[in-house]
Amino acid sequence: MIQFFHVGKRYPGGQQALQDVTFRIPRGEFVFLTGASGAGKTTLLKLIFREEVPSEGQILVNGRNVSSIPRAKIPYLRRTIGVVFQNFRLIPRKTVFENVTYLPRILGQDLKSQKKVAYQALRRVGLAHRLNAFPMELSGGEQQRVAIARALISEPELLIADEPTGNLDPDLSWEILKLFLEINRRGTTLLIATHDRNTIQRVGRRVLTLAEGRLVGDESLRGSEPLPGDEPVYAPHRGEGAETVPDPESEAGAGTAEPTGWHGLEDAS
Amino acid sequence: MTFLQALVYFAREAWLNLVRSWKVSLLAVLTIAVSLFLGGVFLLAATNLSARVSQWSTEAKLLVYLDAEALDAERTALEELAREPSWVIGVESVSAEEAQERFRRQLPGLADLVEDLPASLEVGYRLEAATDPGFAAWVERLRQAPASGSVDDDRDWIAQLRTTIRLARMVGLILGAVLLGAAVFTIASVIRLTAYLYRDEIAIMRLVGATEFFIRGPFWVEGFFQGLLGGLVALGGLWGFYRLVLQGSSDPSLLQSLLSVRFLTAGEAVAVVLLGGLAGLVGAAVSLRRELLTPRAETPGPVTA
Repeated sequence: MIQFFHVGKRYPGGQQALQDVTFRIPRGEFVFLTGASGAGKTTLLKLIFREEVPSEGQILVNGRNVSSIPRAKIPYLRRTIGVVFQNFRLIPRKTVFENVTYLPRILGQDLKSQKKVAYQALRRVGLAHRLNAFPMELSGGEQQRVAIARALISEPELLIADEPTGNLDPDLSWEILKLFLEINRRGTTLLIATHDRNTIQRVGRRVLTLAEGRLVGDESLRGSEPLPGDEPVYAPHRGEGAETVPDPESEAGAGTAEPTGWHGLEDAS
Repeated sequence: MTFLQALVYFAREAWLNLVRSWKVSLLAVLTIAVSLFLGGVFLLAATNLSARVSQWSTEAKLLVYLDAEALDAERTALEELAREPSWVIGVESVSAEEAQERFRRQLPGLADLVEDLPASLEVGYRLEAATDPGFAAWVERLRQAPASGSVDDDRDWIAQLRTTIRLARMVGLILGAVLLGAAVFTIASVIRLTAYLYRDEIAIMRLVGATEFFIRGPFWVEGFFQGLLGGLVALGGLWGFYRLVLQGSSDPSLLQSLLSVRFLTAGEAVAVVLLGGLAGLVGAAVSLRRELLTPRAETPGPVTA
C-alpha cells in the first residue's frame, strides 16, 4: 500500500526533516508512526498525500509513484486517501453534513447521493443523528468523528491521521482509537502519527519510530487492553509481544540509517 | 462533474460569498461603478458629439452675406456661382427681414442688440467636398464676387469640433483605463481578502481532492459578478445622468443640447457592463496566488467533551 525507498526531505531553509527512510506498509495494516516533536512525522504524512515532495528517494502509494505525479493529477491521488488532523479542520460556518460532503460535491454528486453517503459515513462514526448540527455544537470527540467521517466518505483504501487524539482527553482519545480499529477491521489501511505512548501501548499494532528524521524503530506490539473482536491482522516485524513502549525522546541511536528496532525496548520475545 | 455543473456550483458559491461579505463586495462594486460611470460619461459625450457632427456634416452650410448695395444682376450672378459646383446640395436666399426674424427667434435675449442684418445666401454642401482642391478656390470666388459682403464657412467650426471629439475620446480612454485599473486593483484586493478568509476551507477542499480549477472557480465568478454589478450600476447612473442632467432641463445650455442627441446604443450599454465583468474577472485572476490559499497555522489545545 505504502512504500518508502530511501526517502529524504530537506526544506528550502536547509532543515533536514527526513533522511533515508525506508519502509513498507501492506494493504489492510494498522500502523502507528511515533517520535518526538520535530522528528518528521508530519512531514512523512505530507509526503504520502503529496503536500510535500521528497528531496530524495521514491514513494509508492497504491502502486503509484507519488513523487512523479504531475501537479494536475494530485487531486485524484488525494481522493483515494483519507486524512485526519489533530485540530479536526472542520469549517465552523458549515453544518456537519456540509463538512463531510466536500468530496461528493467536488465530484458533482446530486444532493440525494450526497445525503446518502453522508449518512453512511456518519453512521460509521456514530453521528448520523447530528447531520444538521454545526461543529461548535459538538464535543471535541464528536468533532474528530465528523473529521473521520469526512475522510471516510469516499471509502478510501488508506486513512492517515496526524495526532488525531492530540486535542482530546484520554477517554475521548480511546473512543477515537476504537473507531480507527473498527475502520481498519473493515479493510482500510491506517497510518496514525502520534507521540502518545499510552495510546500505542494500549492498542498495540505495528509501530514505526522516527528520531531526528530517521526511521529508528519498526516494531509490532501487542496491546495492553484487549479489544472486542480484536485479532492481529498484521505480520510481526520486530519485537512482537513487547508490553511496554519506550519514550522515543529518550532513545539512543537516533540517526541510524537502518530500522533497528526500538532502542531501549525490553524485548519480550 | 460536468463543466455546466461546475459553473452552477461556482455561481452559487460566488453568490454566497458576495452575500456573506457584502460590505467589501459593495466597496468593489461601487469602485468599478464609479470608474465605468466616469468612463461612460466621456463615451456618452464623444458619441453624442460625433452624432451631432454627423448631423451637421450632412447639412454643412456656407453663408454668403450680400452687399446691401449690390445690383440684382450681381446677386443673380453670385447665386449662379453658388449653385455651380456638384457638391452643392441647395441654395436658399434669406432676406434681411427673415434673417432678423430668425435671430430674434433663436436668441431672444440679444434681439434688441442687433439691427439691420444683411440678406444672405445659405449654400448647403456635402462636407466631404471641403477637402476637394477646387472647394477653397470656389469659396474664394464667392468671396470676391461683387455682390458678396462676406463669407462665413462651417468648416473651421466643424474641424474644431472634431478635434474636441478626438480629445474627449482620448481623455475618456485614458481616464477610463486608469479608473478601470483602480477598479481591477480593488476587486483583486476584495477577492484576495475573501480567499484569505476562506483559506481553511480551501485547504480542506485541496486535501479531499478538489482541483485548482474547482477551488478558484468560485472566486473568478465572484469577481465577474462584482464587475457585472458595477457595470449595471454605472449604466443606471449614466441613464440617470442622461435623462436628468442632459435632457431634463427645459432651457438646455449649448453643452446640454450638444450631448443629448442619444443615449448609448444597446451594444455600447452591454459593452459597458461586460467591461465591468471582465475587469472583475481579471482582478480575481491576478489576486489568487497559491500562497494566499494556504491554511493558517494549527493552534492545538486540549478539547474535552
